Amino acid sequence: MRFGGLTAVKDVSVEVKSGSITAVIGPNGAGKTTLFNAITGVYEPTEGRVLVAGRDPQRAWTPRVMFGVGATALSTAIFLAVLVRVETLWQSAIIDNYVFQKPFPWMKAIADFFSTFFGGGFFGTWLPLLVGALLGGAGRFVIWSRTRRTPDVIASAGVARTFQNIRLFPELSLVENVVVGMDRRLSTGFLGALFALPSALRERGKARQDALGLLKFVGLADRAETAAANLPYGHQRRLEIARALASKPAVILLDEPAAGMNPTETVDLMRLIRAIREAGTTVVLIEHHMRVVMGISDRIHVLQYGEKIAEGTPEEIRNDPRCIEAYLGKEELG
Amino acid sequence: MAERRFSFFTRGQCIVLALLAATPLLDLAFPSIQLSGPMRTVVVYAILALGLNVVVGWTGLLNLGIAAFMAIGAYAFGILTAEVYPFQVGFWWALLLSGAIGAFAGWLLGAPTLRLRGDYLAIVTLGFGEIVQDGLKNLQAITKGTEGINPLPKPTVPFGAAIQSGLEIVGIASAPAATKAAEGVVAASSNWFEISSATPARWFYLYLILLAVVIFFCRNLEFSRLGRQWFAVREDELAARCMAIEPDKAKLKAFAAGAALAAIAGALFASHLASTGEPANYDFQVSILALCIVIVGGIGSITGVVLGAIVMVGLSNVVLPALTQAMQRAGIGSTENVLSSPDNYKYLIFGLALVLMMRFRPDGIVHTRKAVKK
Repeated sequence: MRFGGLTAVKDVSVEVKSGSITAVIGPNGAGKTTLFNAITGVYEPTEGRVLVAGRDPQRAWTPRVMFGVGATALSTAIFLAVLVRVETLWQSAIIDNYVFQKPFPWMKAIADFFSTFFGGGFFGTWLPLLVGALLGGAGRFVIWSRTRRTPDVIASAGVARTFQNIRLFPELSLVENVVVGMDRRLSTGFLGALFALPSALRERGKARQDALGLLKFVGLADRAETAAANLPYGHQRRLEIARALASKPAVILLDEPAAGMNPTETVDLMRLIRAIREAGTTVVLIEHHMRVVMGISDRIHVLQYGEKIAEGTPEEIRNDPRCIEAYLGKEELG
Repeated sequence: MAERRFSFFTRGQCIVLALLAATPLLDLAFPSIQLSGPMRTVVVYAILALGLNVVVGWTGLLNLGIAAFMAIGAYAFGILTAEVYPFQVGFWWALLLSGAIGAFAGWLLGAPTLRLRGDYLAIVTLGFGEIVQDGLKNLQAITKGTEGINPLPKPTVPFGAAIQSGLEIVGIASAPAATKAAEGVVAASSNWFEISSATPARWFYLYLILLAVVIFFCRNLEFSRLGRQWFAVREDELAARCMAIEPDKAKLKAFAAGAALAAIAGALFASHLASTGEPANYDFQVSILALCIVIVGGIGSITGVVLGAIVMVGLSNVVLPALTQAMQRAGIGSTENVLSSPDNYKYLIFGLALVLMMRFRPDGIVHTRKAVKK
């Protein structure tokens, strides 16, 4: 991962076993959060790939995308060609055919429309069609190529995350926050929502129940209807975890979940993370609290200056001289 | 707040609707004012502001060109119904179609531009408003330029004639004299479902029913999955993205829904005037008025927005003209003297109201945002 000339994370490869708890540690500025951002699509990695269960979650160049580009090109072309001569077309198809209070000759009007539409010569018809097709097709193509690996694509593939500096939806209630996280499992469409169809209402009720269950799981059920912004800091972190869990992810990435928590809360958090693993979700976390990291991790990866310096079980890391040096500094001799 | 059960309207929405429904009664008390005609404008602006609220209040996108969609709706309605064009599809089809055309226009504008952020999007919508206005002015062959398309038909009540004849068979509506006695409010007409300039109260109530339908739809959207996506995008776009929501699609839907409502408001406005009026009727002032209604009423709250429309448009279109008339009749003011006519103080009062609101109640008259401690 490079930003301009600055290499923030270099050649870091982290393999996470399904159903394990993996920690990424390292001093400040080592590139841990950048690694998470590159994984979840907040940044586009300059090199390297992310595989989830062996597959690269990207929007592929499918026939559907191809059809979309073609359809956009065609409709933009027609739109532009109509737009540049809209008055002439209107005149020939509508005004010239309409006699007040006489039946309107629809077929003739349509025929006139097409004959005028294609009778504009190079500058009236074909140039606008060509420019429109190029504009529309290219625009749609660029949008596709730029949104191949956006966070929503990664999240849809089953990778959920929390943020180091909490990013909740502050004015929504706790339940609503969690239900937003559930979004990828819901199916209500526009019409269902507009007419409040029974299926939509049922889905809404079910989503709320599930959300309340998740809030209970993280221990916030009693405040379900307050606004998220009114929660104390430690609870906000737990709410963020509940929201991330709501999408039933395969992997959950926790960015410093214990930051700002007191010792009791930290112990609760460790219990919570273990419970998440028991429920079948793979956990990857960034953390500075060594008690948390050493207490729950199956494997630990250590980063420094954007490079991986060590990897192993908590026991190995604890005795690795390079890690001790990275964290505590070298003993000055003499 | 317990689990929300399905209901048609919240208490606040019932109150504002009842408030509006009661205004023709004032005609009974003071026959000289004739409120129910100008009050139709209040309903039209309420629908326009509800459309803007979807975009600005719920999705957090600043749209300064909502009047353009109103114009598109009005002209679509005009072209689809006026006798100078061959379509003449009638009021209800034209209303639906202009809503659909408005949604399409919103989608067309939104698809390439909604990836812009904040101020940039506001500038694009501002420009779009000007382009539409200039386009309408210059496409003489289609829009009749500054003359406007007219005359446009008045609304009809669907199945009104059938219901009327049914009532006559039952014997309820047979005698014109009985109708006259029963109605009182409106001028006598033997057909209860006929809407004309002579029956302003009925016309107003028809618009009010349409407003109620719009409120119903807005409310459904607000508490739906789509509404939640909009809120999430407004609160934190990146977090929403990381929850597998595609903000671009959610925004596009909001834009199209808002544009559709604005276009319906435009169609009702054109029908109310019996003309599309000139393109300058849909200028930047209208967009700003709609924005003021949303802000004064309470951004994001349906009840608040309708209340805002009652306060703002009621003030400028009903109260001030009535006051001017009354003063003239009493011989206090005159139209020649600009200072003595309350009508001319409209923008002064608007500005003052905005300043006071921002100082004392920045969330609007009604605030929905869950009490966030600041």
